[in-house]
Amino acid sequence: MTPLPSANSPQALDCRDAAPTPPDGPAVPGVALGLVGTLALAACGGGDGPETNDPPSALPATRSSEQTARFLAQATLGATRPEIQALSQRSLDAWLAEQFARPPSSSHVDWLLSQGYGAEEFRFSQRGLDNTIWRAFIGGEDALRQRVVFALSEICVVSVLGVDSAWRQFALAYYLDVLQAHAFGNYRQLLEAITLTPAMGYYLTFRGNAKANPKTGSQPDENYARELMQLFTIGLVQLRPDGTPVLRDGQPTETYRAEDVSGLARVFTGWDLETAGMAKPYPPEQMCRPMVQVAGRYETGPKQFLGTTIPDGTDARTALRLALDALFAHPNVPPFVGRQLIQRLVTSNPSPAYVGRVAAVFANNGQGVRGDLRAVVRAILLDPEAHDPAHLQDPAWGKLREPVQRFVHWARAFRATSAGGLWDIGDLSDPGSRLGQSPLRSPSVFNFFRPGYVPPQTALAEQGLVGPEFQLTNESTVAGYVNFMQRAVATRNVGDLRPDYGSLIPLAANAPALVAEVALVLAAGQMTAATQAVIATAVQSMPAKTDSDLQNRIHATLLLVLASPEYIVQK
Amino acid sequence: MHAPDNIAPDNASRRAFLRRSGALSLAASAAPWALALSSIGDAAAQSATDYKALVCVFLQGGNDSWNTVVPYDATHHALYQGLRSNIAFTREALAASALDPLGGSPDGRQFALAPTLATGLLPLFHQGRLAVVHNVGTLVQPTTKAQYQARSVPLPPKLFSHNDQQSYWQASSAEGATSGWGGRMGDLFASGNGTSTFTCINVAGNAVFLAGDVAIPYQVTTSGAVPVNGIKSPLFGSAAASQALRQLMTAPSSHWLAQAHAQVAQRSIQAGEQVTSALAATPLPAPFPTGNRLADQLGLVSRMIAARQQLGVRRQVFFVAIGGFDTHDRQLATHPGLLANVGDALAAFHRATEVLGVAQQVTSFTATDFGRTLVSNNDGSDHGWGSAQLVLGGAVQGGRLYGAAPVPANNGPDDVGQGRLLPAVAVEQYAATMARWFGVPAGDLPLVLPRLGNFGSADLGFMTA
Repeated sequence: MTPLPSANSPQALDCRDAAPTPPDGPAVPGVALGLVGTLALAACGGGDGPETNDPPSALPATRSSEQTARFLAQATLGATRPEIQALSQRSLDAWLAEQFARPPSSSHVDWLLSQGYGAEEFRFSQRGLDNTIWRAFIGGEDALRQRVVFALSEICVVSVLGVDSAWRQFALAYYLDVLQAHAFGNYRQLLEAITLTPAMGYYLTFRGNAKANPKTGSQPDENYARELMQLFTIGLVQLRPDGTPVLRDGQPTETYRAEDVSGLARVFTGWDLETAGMAKPYPPEQMCRPMVQVAGRYETGPKQFLGTTIPDGTDARTALRLALDALFAHPNVPPFVGRQLIQRLVTSNPSPAYVGRVAAVFANNGQGVRGDLRAVVRAILLDPEAHDPAHLQDPAWGKLREPVQRFVHWARAFRATSAGGLWDIGDLSDPGSRLGQSPLRSPSVFNFFRPGYVPPQTALAEQGLVGPEFQLTNESTVAGYVNFMQRAVATRNVGDLRPDYGSLIPLAANAPALVAEVALVLAAGQMTAATQAVIATAVQSMPAKTDSDLQNRIHATLLLVLASPEYIVQK
Repeated sequence: MHAPDNIAPDNASRRAFLRRSGALSLAASAAPWALALSSIGDAAAQSATDYKALVCVFLQGGNDSWNTVVPYDATHHALYQGLRSNIAFTREALAASALDPLGGSPDGRQFALAPTLATGLLPLFHQGRLAVVHNVGTLVQPTTKAQYQARSVPLPPKLFSHNDQQSYWQASSAEGATSGWGGRMGDLFASGNGTSTFTCINVAGNAVFLAGDVAIPYQVTTSGAVPVNGIKSPLFGSAAASQALRQLMTAPSSHWLAQAHAQVAQRSIQAGEQVTSALAATPLPAPFPTGNRLADQLGLVSRMIAARQQLGVRRQVFFVAIGGFDTHDRQLATHPGLLANVGDALAAFHRATEVLGVAQQVTSFTATDFGRTLVSNNDGSDHGWGSAQLVLGGAVQGGRLYGAAPVPANNGPDDVGQGRLLPAVAVEQYAATMARWFGVPAGDLPLVLPRLGNFGSADLGFMTA
């Protein structure tokens, strides 16, 4: 057995206040997944070396390049051919352990400061934010963590579009740093940390929220209380552990009512930016530390919601903790969060059984801890349903890659890097001329797309299935995406980003080989021989004499793959 | 396989109806089911010879109608102000935008438009082109306050939730709905359009409002259709690669997600050229404000309407939208500007329809997730329910306020607490009034609005015949 991780490891720090298991779930050490013989000791699911306490997966230690590429498409935002190659000869457990142990890419806040975005001229701009995001998503060596950060940013949504403060790039950078720090930690700690970020305080409007004022009749702002419940913890309807709704007389049951929102809203009063140790005009660091209580605005009376009462006179910090504890303990949380993480990483319509297995790990990681994101991510990625080769033939399996995922995939697969360190790719939100999506720029707290979106007049709709990413798919965006990628692969309109096609140049004169390579790296071998032949035939007809000819062939091959539905769908 | 949870039971019979009709049709894909109906003389097959368009202007986030159509007579203004003194308009501020309805105010209730709506919309109200409809909202059936509190009647699911209420407004069903009433109207008229593709036009982001069972929303940006450059011109120098690109993007697939994506790509490529060439001949018919995203969208709508003959359409439903209305905080700092954009954009759009000679054939109407609490929080308002809406066009019986004016109160007769209004008019009734004008026969209204029969009147009277 491996000794506990030291108190200095990031995972242990995250879990100092690890939440106890809920009353209905006694701690069941070490038996949960049924694959483990040993008692694991790492209370926070941590493990800081190749030897871990995680239960071993049932997957073989080596596998084909296609299977490995498939796994990496689920676990990362993109991988190179050498990475695919290397991992096909290693166990996925070892790779995961290494990824969990890898520290985060450098802090977004630190990077912004180091690049001079703290200069006065940037006080009221967003400059720098997109840069640091692309830096981490495209260049981050912590591949798994960045994938999970992106997924979390689409569940616990904050968008720079709705943060109307000074230094908003720093506010969002700090928010991302918090997601980075907690991505493999505990969801309960993540909730508390994001609640106290200035970005969230601005975005969901409870910064400066005050207790009721009998003179003006004003009540506490309910925004955060509602969205915290609806989107970040329990959702709108009671769920079974497998994510399906509880039905009474054929109808779903609501989880909360208006009174619960009003009651919970009283908790989120009195919070505001910390100004201690700072003078006006406040520096960017003001947006980069947890909010604090301001005297006189906090509602000291009792707060009642969801059958919980926080007693009269409870101080604000304790009330916040108790409120989050109560929400976190709700039986909905494991399936509600677990199912969405599966949708972000693996497939839009997981079976209830898959959801149930992941939710069970969320509820109890095997060592009595609830909310262990490391264990949850591991459970999602190693679940047999994610790997089953039979699903490659299932017409309903998989997910549409969202536009950001497609763009970053190409960039990571070909080791794109910022030639001048600027990462000035910019805001890619415009649907007609760019990707139609850009991280941390969602139009609302409901993310770019809803988990329950159904594309009309499709087989999915007829079968009662969902396709969240189809909410971004329309006649303009399908064209805008292809136009943008046509420029991107030829390094136009992507700032100083430069891909490395060194691996493709030797193949470029041989169209079928070039196509096969790109089809493996990008489409994980999920592109049919017939489709590859269509591409190869077209590319074969292109000249292959000069360096520029070969570049054209490479660009054409890349774009034809990137534009194919067989790539756009991740299986 | 399981049916989606929230399909209204009537939709099952409607689908069966469509399928039966389809079974009678001859040329399957080229002739939508409505043609089959006309071949058997069914009145539901519409072959309109005039042109009409409905434009849904969706205000995303839940527009605060208390500060949009504001209680103005002294008694009710005092009640309004007393409950949100930190975000209310004073009577003085409202004097210049007070509404003077045709036929006066027999109930003594007076209203004013928000001050920033005055420039754009006050003249249109007094010219009889703009109507106000009080307290419209999502309902399953008429609901009293006692019934709401006792939960003794079915209520719309997920009240006060943005995404679900947006969906319910558009589709009478919560998130996950697959068709909206705009699309269902499109279904009835698509076959009368030379190119059915352009029946339902979306100038905003994907929304269920325009999805029908046959009609599919066609999305276009404010600068027009987006061509695929690599198909229009040689791709990296290669015509063969261009052709391959087109083939790959649109290739049918047995995989449902891939197929769904290819379908959209096919429509984009096929229809894009036609849209581009049509729009090339139709610049903005009248000036539109700049720096106003709603104006940008309505400008494009006016150009599409100008191009209606080239696009071969006689009945169209449009969807435009802007966000920012979820004014939990800083309401006084943000809401007036948003309303100014709405008023200015709508006024410019109406002017454009006059220039095009179609003012009586185009009707615009507002819609929103929900209204907001009358009681404020520190500097904003929270999620509500019923709210006042605006309808604009040459065929509108404007200059009037329709429906019972709600009482401003906290837990009064018309609200369910904090001034969240219990809707007196259902979205279905609001929609049916316009659908009837659009040309949907009375007997077909339930196809468009399945729950309409739950409510009393299917015609609120704000449209001319």
